[in-house]
Amino acid sequence: MQQLISFTTDYTRYVLKGGTKFYAWMGSLAVLIVGMMYVFYLQNTDGLIVTGMTSQIHDGLYFANLVFLVGVAAGAVTIVFPAYVYHHEGMHKVTVLGEMLAITAVIMVMMFVFAHMGRPDRLWHMIPPWGIYSFSSMLGWDVMVLNGYLFLNIACGFYYLWAKYTGTKVNNKIFMPLVYISIVWALSIHTVTAFLISTMPSRPMWFHSMMPIRFITTAFAAGPSLIILAFLIVRKNTKFWIEDSAINLLSTIVTWCLGLAIFLTMSEIVVELYARTEHANGLYYLMFGLHGLTNLVPWFWSSVVLMVTSFVLFLIPSVRTNYKLLPILCVMAFTGIWIEKGMGLIVPGFIPSPIGEVTEYYPTFVEVLMTLGIWAFGFFILTILLKGAIGILQGDIKYRGQAVAAK
Amino acid sequence: MLSASALMGSAALMTMSDDAKAATEWAEHFQKNYRLMTDAEKAEARTRLERRYSSEYGKKVTVDTTGPQPGVLMGYALNVRKCIGCRRCVHACVEENNQSRGTRPGEKIEWIQVLRMERGEFSKDKMNQGYPEGLGIQVGGNAYTPAGQVLEGQYRYEPEAVPEKDATYMPIACMQCEKPPCVKVCPVRTTYREADGPVVIDYNWCIGCRMCMGACPYWARRINLTTPVLPKEEMNPVTHYLGNRPRMRGVVEKCHWCLQRTRQGRYPACVEVCPVGARKFGNLLDPESEVSLILARKNVFRLKAELNTFPKFFYFYD
Amino acid sequence: MKKLAFHTMILAFCCGMMTSALAQEQKAAAAQAPAAQPPQETVCFESRKGASEVTKRDLQPGWPNVKCSPKTGAALWYGDPYDGTVPMGKMPGLEKIPEGHAVVKPRSEKLAILPMCATACHNGVGPAFNPPKLPKDKKPIPIPTMEGLLPDAKDLQHGRGRIWCLDCHHTTKRNMLVDNYGDPVSIDQPQLLCGKCHGDKMRDWRDGIHGKRIGEFASTGKKRWFTCTECHNPHNVQDGARNKGFVQIAPEAPPQLPKGMKDAKYERVHGIAH
Repeated sequence: MQQLISFTTDYTRYVLKGGTKFYAWMGSLAVLIVGMMYVFYLQNTDGLIVTGMTSQIHDGLYFANLVFLVGVAAGAVTIVFPAYVYHHEGMHKVTVLGEMLAITAVIMVMMFVFAHMGRPDRLWHMIPPWGIYSFSSMLGWDVMVLNGYLFLNIACGFYYLWAKYTGTKVNNKIFMPLVYISIVWALSIHTVTAFLISTMPSRPMWFHSMMPIRFITTAFAAGPSLIILAFLIVRKNTKFWIEDSAINLLSTIVTWCLGLAIFLTMSEIVVELYARTEHANGLYYLMFGLHGLTNLVPWFWSSVVLMVTSFVLFLIPSVRTNYKLLPILCVMAFTGIWIEKGMGLIVPGFIPSPIGEVTEYYPTFVEVLMTLGIWAFGFFILTILLKGAIGILQGDIKYRGQAVAAK
Repeated sequence: MLSASALMGSAALMTMSDDAKAATEWAEHFQKNYRLMTDAEKAEARTRLERRYSSEYGKKVTVDTTGPQPGVLMGYALNVRKCIGCRRCVHACVEENNQSRGTRPGEKIEWIQVLRMERGEFSKDKMNQGYPEGLGIQVGGNAYTPAGQVLEGQYRYEPEAVPEKDATYMPIACMQCEKPPCVKVCPVRTTYREADGPVVIDYNWCIGCRMCMGACPYWARRINLTTPVLPKEEMNPVTHYLGNRPRMRGVVEKCHWCLQRTRQGRYPACVEVCPVGARKFGNLLDPESEVSLILARKNVFRLKAELNTFPKFFYFYD
Repeated sequence: MKKLAFHTMILAFCCGMMTSALAQEQKAAAAQAPAAQPPQETVCFESRKGASEVTKRDLQPGWPNVKCSPKTGAALWYGDPYDGTVPMGKMPGLEKIPEGHAVVKPRSEKLAILPMCATACHNGVGPAFNPPKLPKDKKPIPIPTMEGLLPDAKDLQHGRGRIWCLDCHHTTKRNMLVDNYGDPVSIDQPQLLCGKCHGDKMRDWRDGIHGKRIGEFASTGKKRWFTCTECHNPHNVQDGARNKGFVQIAPEAPPQLPKGMKDAKYERVHGIAH
């Protein structure tokens, strides 16, 4: 018990201390978070009318970010898997960082769920025994697997940190099963999220069995891209050294998953546009516009350019291992996938509507601010979690007071 | 927990009789899913609502809780050949069902859409237009001419008079599917199919996740983006708990075949107002009902039958 | 020739009298209304414009008998479906419906000219018909006054020139219709006449498939039946832009555009391409 209290206090004390850069970063994030809170208040007094969502296009930025971030959360498995299944040395050292990223991403997903709902005050209706759990609903399953994943990652991550902190040995009898479960679970969260939209015949653009694998490939490209970026930042700004081998393995994973994602997109385009049935209208709208409405066309093509270019560059080993260029590639891949999953997947699913109506989605400032705010909140938590984790991994925080303060 | 919240609600009701509205809303917030309520709880919820609505709308509002009647399975049939596209059903529905009727985009909700279908225009001038243009693989005349029943979502037509020469009309609304995809995806089971056919929503249990809207192949569901704009004098005081009682912000609503009427044996509002008698409603279990006779005698189709939703809304033509 | 002109004049005189009487009646009604209900009276049409109208009034406070469209003046909602109805009368094939459960709105009310048909002109005793001279067959004869009163009669569209007034209107009882046996039928029950030719439609109507009924949906429930002439103009069923037998009317307002959309032009561009 005393250990727990000292862990909490040491951890808090450590993460709250930092240089000007740290406070500036956290402060600017906090501004966005305050903005988010304000628009959340607006949404819950005026209603969703303050967003650009309509009865035609009723899932917008929030849902898109939700889907994307589930992918990022699942992407953490690209660290855990090589570390524990292939016993990759470099990866093993940084597993906890991946888990911290997963925790952050899942929390952000939850926040986007809250932002998305028409009645967030009633979300307890989903949770037994007060509410009803529906086994037939994919959203019910999604909430379940996401919470499970959050729990698993908190358990694995903090148990590991705890062990490091107290200097005890990790009990592998408990730890390893949890790790293996979390690996499979990571796949499940993204698969179920894919099922969420691909089980609706009313939306032909989503209604195909390729959706889960496409989700997973994009997730395993976007997730590690973000992780690489985080690693490079950590390497630059802290004393914690992340091995090149870990980063190189991640960039290899990004390369191949990006390639697969592009391949799957291409397959979909060929299949849909060769026959060009009415069911291809959504994709057609995305690529070329429909009825003269072309809002998403530039987004789609920029996503294609970003993804293909970054893939080609990733393929070149000298570029991939150049840590000056790598962040640019990662940003390109990450942005490309964010556009593809966000703007390019969710919104055109509603265009045309099931009765064939073509309308467009115009996100409002409220929506953009909410989205930015949640991202800011995510980075806020991520910073704290990574800082604390690194502190413990490096031995800056240890039980019995040695080196309590950082630097 | 539930009983605690119910207690809290009733305690609040008793103590805060001045602020009846706040109290009822508090109690409403913690009430159970309608299907799980006991008869006593239903009666309590009903009185609570009647009280709140009556004070809010300044008239005696009744909230019916009549359940499905034995031996009744509601069915609907629509004669697509007869429809003239006058949209009276759309507006009758709004008069009856207390939809939001504001002016800001998103504040006006209509449950029925009258789709306009082109009769098709084939002409000699279009003989050389082909598919795909330029490549000449399948060059045929009159390519791209839409004709007949296509779901292209034209429903904002505004001619001087209807029916237009070059169009036919097909109204759509909730099909009250026997295998409703919307019910399947609801994470809180707030929407369900009643024993006598209609798919209903417990507005107090809906969390506004809009999965049902995505799953509906007929685009029948609407979200209340804001608190519905419902002027006092236009409010229909005869309501049903699962039907047309005023909704709140952030919940989904849709056609329920005017439960407040049909549970009392009356035709839905859209049927009564159709000037050409294209809309037919009846008991599918009664072989003498108009819908049963239509099924027996006319050529009938279900919209998007390939999705196996088994609508109880049939289209027919003579 | 002179005689014909004389007849015509007499007829014209009759009609003149009648129309002025009618006009007066309407004026009186119009004058009465504001006296009774100071605010403006809302009158809306039910199925076909000009065929039947309802005046809006409150059955109970806040519960009108009908709600009308401010845009087109069409009835949009019925508070009481049986408002102003009378029992339909005997109708073969509807024996299963309990007594009084089939009601209609009397057509005679609407057709203000009707009571006079058989008294003012077609009374068989008018000055022109001395001795009484009724048509011996149903062959068309041009009657300018009748055509003046009822323009549809001039080039009667119904039947494309194959039928004439007396195919439907009773020879001696002009305010009645005629059934298959030549017996008079109430003008409130036109189905007994129309069904003579349009048997399939009448069967569908009887079964509730064709036409409109309001009230209770159960097959034995109380319903107001809309009769043939409430929706179709019997003299010109071809009216309207296409052959649906229904006259063109103005549509109600279109739905609201979703947020961000400026106009609805996009929906006229067809999506199926390439």
